[in-house]
Amino acid sequence: MTTNVPAVDTHVAEPTSGRKNFLNCSSGFMSWAGTLDHKRIGLMYLVGVSIAFLCGGLFALLVRLHLWSPEGALFANADYNQIFTLHGAFMVFLFVIPAIPGSLGNMVLPLMLGAKDVALPRLNLLSFYLWCSGAVMATLAIILGGFDTGWTFYAPYSIYTDKAVVSIGLGIFLLGFSSIFTGLNFIVTVHKLRAPGLTWFRMPLFVWALYATSILQVLATPVLGITVLLVAFERLYNIGIFDPRLGGDPVLFEHFFWFYSHPAVYIMVLPAFGIVSELVSVHSRKPLFGYKLIAFSSLAIAIISFLVWGHHMFTSGQSTYAMFAFSFLTFFVAIPTAIKEFSWVATIWKGSIALNSPMLYTLAFLIIFAIGGLTGVILGALNVDIHLHDTYFVVAHFHYVMMGSIALAFFAGLHHWWPKMFGVMYNETLAKIACGIIFIGFNTTFLPQFIMGSRGMPRRYATYVPEYAPYHHASTIGAVILGLGIALMVYYLVASLFSGKRAMQNQWGGVTLDWHTPTPPPLENFDHSPSVTTEVYDYSVLDLETTRTPAS
Amino acid sequence: MSASNDNAGHGHTASGHDAHGHGELQMGHHHVSSSAMFLNVLIALLILTAITVGASRIDFGSANLLIAMAIASVKASLVIAFFMHVKWDTAINKIVFLSSFLFLSLLFIFTLADQATRRMDDQALTTKTPVDKQWVHPSTLAEQKQ
Amino acid sequence: MSHDGHHSVVIPAPGPEFQSHTVAHHFDTPVQEFQSAKLGFWLFLATEILLFGGLFAAYFYYHQMYHETFHLGGQQLDWWLGALNTSVLLLSSWTMAMGVRSAQTSQKGKLLMYCGLTVLGAVIFLVIKFFEYKAKNEHGLIEFAHLFDGYNGATGQLSWFTDHDGVMAGVPHGHLFFAIYLTMTAIHGLHVIIGAGLIVWIMKGAAKGRFHAGYYLPVDLVGLYWHLVDLIWIFLFPLLYLVS
Repeated sequence: MTTNVPAVDTHVAEPTSGRKNFLNCSSGFMSWAGTLDHKRIGLMYLVGVSIAFLCGGLFALLVRLHLWSPEGALFANADYNQIFTLHGAFMVFLFVIPAIPGSLGNMVLPLMLGAKDVALPRLNLLSFYLWCSGAVMATLAIILGGFDTGWTFYAPYSIYTDKAVVSIGLGIFLLGFSSIFTGLNFIVTVHKLRAPGLTWFRMPLFVWALYATSILQVLATPVLGITVLLVAFERLYNIGIFDPRLGGDPVLFEHFFWFYSHPAVYIMVLPAFGIVSELVSVHSRKPLFGYKLIAFSSLAIAIISFLVWGHHMFTSGQSTYAMFAFSFLTFFVAIPTAIKEFSWVATIWKGSIALNSPMLYTLAFLIIFAIGGLTGVILGALNVDIHLHDTYFVVAHFHYVMMGSIALAFFAGLHHWWPKMFGVMYNETLAKIACGIIFIGFNTTFLPQFIMGSRGMPRRYATYVPEYAPYHHASTIGAVILGLGIALMVYYLVASLFSGKRAMQNQWGGVTLDWHTPTPPPLENFDHSPSVTTEVYDYSVLDLETTRTPAS
Repeated sequence: MSASNDNAGHGHTASGHDAHGHGELQMGHHHVSSSAMFLNVLIALLILTAITVGASRIDFGSANLLIAMAIASVKASLVIAFFMHVKWDTAINKIVFLSSFLFLSLLFIFTLADQATRRMDDQALTTKTPVDKQWVHPSTLAEQKQ
Repeated sequence: MSHDGHHSVVIPAPGPEFQSHTVAHHFDTPVQEFQSAKLGFWLFLATEILLFGGLFAAYFYYHQMYHETFHLGGQQLDWWLGALNTSVLLLSSWTMAMGVRSAQTSQKGKLLMYCGLTVLGAVIFLVIKFFEYKAKNEHGLIEFAHLFDGYNGATGQLSWFTDHDGVMAGVPHGHLFFAIYLTMTAIHGLHVIIGAGLIVWIMKGAAKGRFHAGYYLPVDLVGLYWHLVDLIWIFLFPLLYLVS
């Protein structure tokens, strides 16, 4: 072992089996429900967001099956409105926004910083329970009659509908504060709990990405909070500011909503960028190309994302002058995003690429995100968007980003840190097959939607003219394939917990601090507080012995 | 993001960190302000309150709102700098708090600019079919034009 | 507690009437603990600014849209009571600042006294606010008994805004000013109540001697919260009471 490596020589100092880790150091319901340990909270988040994802996926399948026939195969039109609203609301608020920061971020961020925990562990547990209460409120809203406004809750319809909008609105308020507190915690942790020697430019890029995400969570989410409260007030005592009958302006609602929800797109996607940045480096065993560029582009995206929200409102009745400005500013987002995409590809170039399942998911991300990102540039153009607004082109675009990019990056991260979290390996063969099925299923679902959207198929309609039937058929078949792929993934991941092979201490040969602690990590993460003397992603210090030593 | 007071890594000790001279077993960074200063700030705030009331009694036209906001901003700055101790706080805490106002101003600027320039749109549209000076609900404008 | 013999850091009490403070296990130094909590709290205050900011944005939006409504609406409020309440909050902000100072200098009795005065300020503020609401209720500008009775689309009648004196008759959508006035002052009032509750909690800890020169973090944070409540009112006062 070289002197450069942080002094956590796990495989020498301790017997490798039977030592206590965060999973088995205590047991019983309260040792989990009342835990302050970031790793256990991360795992609880993982269970929660996975359930939300499977629910949201089920709703998506119902939507796709309904659209098999032009007159709608399964539901009455009003019920269809509820199903796609549930799909959107569950996926956005309960899964995509909290998924990566809540589960993988919580698990990995303190490890990567060499800290014992996040800076504010009680607040961390509180944000998990806020997430839970948000989920309860969402479920309660379904019981109380559902909601049919779409996940965007546009006024004035959200004021007039007789569905349970107040309940889901309060749910989103709680989920918003859950997200805020996670972001707040991460910012403080990054500022105050870095190990000695871990300077800003030695931090892994996943940490940088989470840091940029946290800024957005803290600064944008409160506006969503007040917006849903104001909608609730509209319904409770007709405050009137979003209600045109009372002199209010529904466009103001859209301003408020997108002031949050556009940055929220980056709350969702920046952590995914972070995971991809980590994984392309580790699985190519090569330092990242353009480390500082990627780090600063995360911050640049965070800032620019506050200036472009009006591009969601090109057909809202917003002033033409505002639309010019918003459309113009939108193109600037493409610059830091493209910097990232090129840097990742340049990192892989001539690397020692290992096509492990996490890397396969990452490569799938790179392809899908290129399509998702570039179609976003098309939609940012004012005149083109007037035509494409509220068509399936938009649906396909944001699914290429949210499902194809963010969910796939989440899967990639999950496969990457799975051996770290549990000390076991899933079936790699099945994982590679599942990745292929998911990639094929995803593209079969959403590529046809670009075409039918550009030909005028509006989103959110329960029925359609028969000319669109072939595209809808292809899309529905793709959705079923995608569902099967995800079911296979869930199967082998869960099975690995019961019958998986022992993972290695350092399964993939990573050199960031998260791989310099025993696997699975002990309660306070490090046996000895680490200090850092080497640059980040310096694979010359990798101790290959750790990649051959079984996890404890 | 200077390393001096921002990067409180594990190895730091309390005493090597702060100019105000205290032992290692204290919290650090406590600037104790004098009672006299607090009293002066309070008096200034009360005087400014009287001024803002007085200014509102005089008609400056549309400048009244601006004047009121300017005085309120001065008062707020006094509270932030002295009562909230921001004057002596770390750089990062200053950045955090002030950036909230910066990002809030983005919300103000874009929404208000949209609203204001939309009226320019309306006027351009209504010159051909002039509406009388009575107030008209925006949603009924389209009907009236037909 | 952990493997490498790490033991907790304890800040000793400065005197017999005070308690010592144990630094949380995942921090190495008291400075780290203090700065972490403080940075976290500033971030929280930033979220409060943006949350209220949405309401202020709505205010400016409709002020720009219906300025006669806002001018006439502002005239219906009692600027004298508004100015009085502003002074009460400014005074309470001063007592809070003095309270934090007393904690920093380990003056237990003074800390309790200043906190008590701050709570008194909060109570006076709320009582004055109550009488203001009562007056609006009597003039039919905000009828609290009918607040949740809804809007009748056929008659165009809003249940809580009857305006039976006709003071807002000449301007469009007179209720908008009062809706925004009610929402902003009610949410602000809620913050006053929460802040007062937190100060009472501080007083309980102070009576036990938890806060002193070595450890006054909770006093400091609650103080910041209280100043924020004051800060928001500094802007609310001219916007609501003095726009006429």
